[in-house]
Amino acid sequence: MNNRTWMSRSLAGTAVLMLGFTLAGCGGGGGDASSRPENELHLAVYGDASNKVEEAMVAKFNETSDVKIVLDTIPGADYQTKLQTIIDTESAPDIFFNWGGGSIANFVEADLLMPLDDFIEEDPQLKEAFLPSVFETAVIDDKSYGIPMRGTQPVMLFNNSEVLEQAGIDAPPATWDELLDAVEKLKAAGVTPIALGGADQWPTQMWFQYVFDRVAGEDLFQAALDGDTSVWDSEESREALGKLRELVDAGAFGTNFDSVKFTDGGSPTLLSSGRAGFELMGSWAYATHLDANPEFAENVLSYSEFPAIEGGEGDPANLAGNTNNFYSVHKDTRYPDEVAEFLKLMYSDEFVQEQIAIGNLPTTTNTEEFLDEASNPEYAKYQFDLVKDAPHFQLSWDQAYPPEATVTIHTAIAQFFSGQIDEDGFIKAMQSL
Amino acid sequence: MTTLATRRQATPGGSTPSRPARRGASSVGRPGFAWALPATIFFALFALVPLAAVAVLSFTSWSGLGDPEFVGLENWKTLIADPVMLKSLWLSLLFIVLGVVTQTPLSILLGVWAAGNQRNRAVLSAIYFIPLLLSSAAISVLWRALLDPNFGIPGQLPWLFGDGNLLGTQAGAIGVLIFVGMWQFTPFHTLIYQGAAKSIPTVLYQAASIDGAGTVRQFFSITLPQLRNTAITSIILMVVGGLTTFETVLILTNGGPGTDTTITAFYMYQQAFQSFDFGVGSAIALVLVVVATLISLVVVKVSGYDKMNSSLEGL
Repeated sequence: MNNRTWMSRSLAGTAVLMLGFTLAGCGGGGGDASSRPENELHLAVYGDASNKVEEAMVAKFNETSDVKIVLDTIPGADYQTKLQTIIDTESAPDIFFNWGGGSIANFVEADLLMPLDDFIEEDPQLKEAFLPSVFETAVIDDKSYGIPMRGTQPVMLFNNSEVLEQAGIDAPPATWDELLDAVEKLKAAGVTPIALGGADQWPTQMWFQYVFDRVAGEDLFQAALDGDTSVWDSEESREALGKLRELVDAGAFGTNFDSVKFTDGGSPTLLSSGRAGFELMGSWAYATHLDANPEFAENVLSYSEFPAIEGGEGDPANLAGNTNNFYSVHKDTRYPDEVAEFLKLMYSDEFVQEQIAIGNLPTTTNTEEFLDEASNPEYAKYQFDLVKDAPHFQLSWDQAYPPEATVTIHTAIAQFFSGQIDEDGFIKAMQSL
Repeated sequence: MTTLATRRQATPGGSTPSRPARRGASSVGRPGFAWALPATIFFALFALVPLAAVAVLSFTSWSGLGDPEFVGLENWKTLIADPVMLKSLWLSLLFIVLGVVTQTPLSILLGVWAAGNQRNRAVLSAIYFIPLLLSSAAISVLWRALLDPNFGIPGQLPWLFGDGNLLGTQAGAIGVLIFVGMWQFTPFHTLIYQGAAKSIPTVLYQAASIDGAGTVRQFFSITLPQLRNTAITSIILMVVGGLTTFETVLILTNGGPGTDTTITAFYMYQQAFQSFDFGVGSAIALVLVVVATLISLVVVKVSGYDKMNSSLEGL
C-alpha cells in the first residue's frame, strides 16, 4: 500500500467514524434517573428581570433541603430553541419554565414530561390554589403538566387618554362600532388611530385572537387546534376576517405598521408621544411605558377590555394573551419528592409578594389579598378581576399551537393585514397547520 | 502549474528543464500532500462530516426530540412543491447580483483612491473602515432604529420617504438590505482593492504619462486590467457573502413583509430553528451547498480564474 492510498483510506475511515458519532449524538435520548447528578436538581428558566424571584425561591428551598436546586437562566430569545435541544438529552433540566399549551405539547407527545396528578392528589392545593382558567392551560389530555409560576398577562386595549379627549372620544370603545367610530374621530384629529408593531407580527396576531373569539366564541379555535381545520372556512371565521379587513381598510393602523416594532419601542412611543390613540398589547405594556416614560404611564395611559362585537358568539368578558407561565417536570427526574416540595412554594405568600413587588401578577386565589402592595394597585386589581371573571382565557395562538406552527401563523396574519393575501389565502394557510 | 511550465519553457536562452524521471527532483517547488494535511483534516472534520450528516438528516423527519425518523424523499417532495423555496432562491440570486453591482464599482473607486498618497487619506480611510469592525447584529439594530418610519430618518424626510413604510414593502425591504450590505461590506472590498492597486508597478503609469495618457485613460487602460484577478476574488467573496446573508435579514426584516425577503439561508434557519423541522432545514442546506458550488463554478469558468495568469506577466 503506498502512501497516498493509505492516507485517503484512513481519511475516509475517520470520516465514517465521525459521522457515526455525530448521528449517535443526534439520537441521544434521556438516560434514566441514575445517570443524573446526585443531590442536585436543575431548574431552567427564561432569563430576564423576573429571575430575581426565581433566585429567591431557589435559595429558600435550598436552605432546608439536602437536594439542592441549581438555577439555569437561559437568555430569553434563545430559550425555546435551547430547551428543545437539551430536553431529550442527559443534560435536560428537572424542572423548566414554559407557556403551557403548545409549548409543551410536543414534549408530552414524546413522553418526556411527568403528569403532576399524583402530586396534586397528595397536596390538592397545587391545583386549588390557582385560578382555574389559568391552571387548565397546562392540562393536556386531561392530565396536568404544569404548575403556574410568574404572572398572568392578559391582552388589553391601551389608550392615550389625552389624545382620546382631544379627538372627542368620551370613553374607551365598548363595542366594535364604537371602535370604528373612534377610528374615524382619531383620523380626523390627524393621528394614527391604533399603533401596531406589525414588523414583530405577534402584535398583529393579538387582533386575530380577540376578533375570532368575539365573533365565533372560543370553540372555533379549540376545534382547529384539535385538528378540525374546516372551521377556518366556516361562516364565523369569514365574518371575523371581514371585521379585521374592515378595520384595516378604515385606516385604523395607518399605512406603515409593517415597518414598526413593539420590541424596539416603536409602537409604544407612538402611543406615549400622542401620535396614536390606542394600542392592543399584553399587560406588560404598563411596565414598558413606566420604564420609558413614567409620567405618561402614571397620568395619561389608560386601558380597557377588548370591545364586544354585536351578534358575536363569544363572551365579551373572554380574554386572550399569556394565561401564565408554568413549571413542568421532566419524567426522568431523580428526586420527584423534592420537586413536589419545591412546586408548593408557587402558592406561598412569599412567592406572591415577591412577584407583585416586581410588577408581575400571580394567579393564586389569594393574590387578591396582596394587591395593595403592587406598584400600581389599581392596575393590578383591574387585571386580576379581568382574569378572575373571564369565562375563557385564550392562550396566544402561537403558543397554543406547537412551535413549528409559529412561522406559518405569523406570516399569514402579517400578509392578511398588509393585503398580500385575502380571506381564502389566510384560510388556506391556517388549514395547512 | 500550467503557468510555471509555460514560463519555464518561455525563458529565452535558458535550458528548459526536461521532465525529471526520478522522484525527489520533481518535488522542488512543489509541496507534497503533507502540506495540505492539516487543512484537509480540518475540512473533513468540520465541513465534509457535517455535510454528510446533513445529507442523511434531509431524508428524515426530526424535531430535535427523540430519534430522527427516516421518511425517504418526503422532505424533498415538500420542498419541490414549496413556492417559498423557489422564491427564496430567486431572492438569493437577486441579492447576489444587486450586491455585486452596487459594491464593486464603489469599492474599486475607493480602493484605488485609498492606494494613493493624498493628504488626510490615511485618516479618512481609517474612519471609512469602521463599519467593517462592527458586528452584523449591531449594524442591523442600528439601521433598524435609524429607519423607524415615525421616529427615524424617514419621519424627518417625508418628501423623500413618503409614509416611511420602507421595511413594509418588498422593494423597500430589499433596497434597505442591499444598502446596509453595501454600507457594511464595501470597506472590506475597498481594502482588497487598495492592496492590489498599491502593488501595480508605478513604471506603468510613468510610461503611460510619457505617452500622453490622462488620469481617466490610465485608470481604464492600466488600473482596471491590473485589478482583474482581485476583482474576481472580491466578487466570489461577495457571492458567498450574499448567499449566506443572514443576521441582517433576521433583524431588519425577519424575512418579511410576508416572505418577500426570505432568502434561502434565512429560510433554512426558519425551518430548522424556528419551526423545529430539521429534516426540511437540512434539505434546504443541501440545496444551498449545491447552488453555491454551481455559482462558484460559473464564476470561475466565466472569469477564467482557473487559468489565471499573473498580471505582472511580461514585465
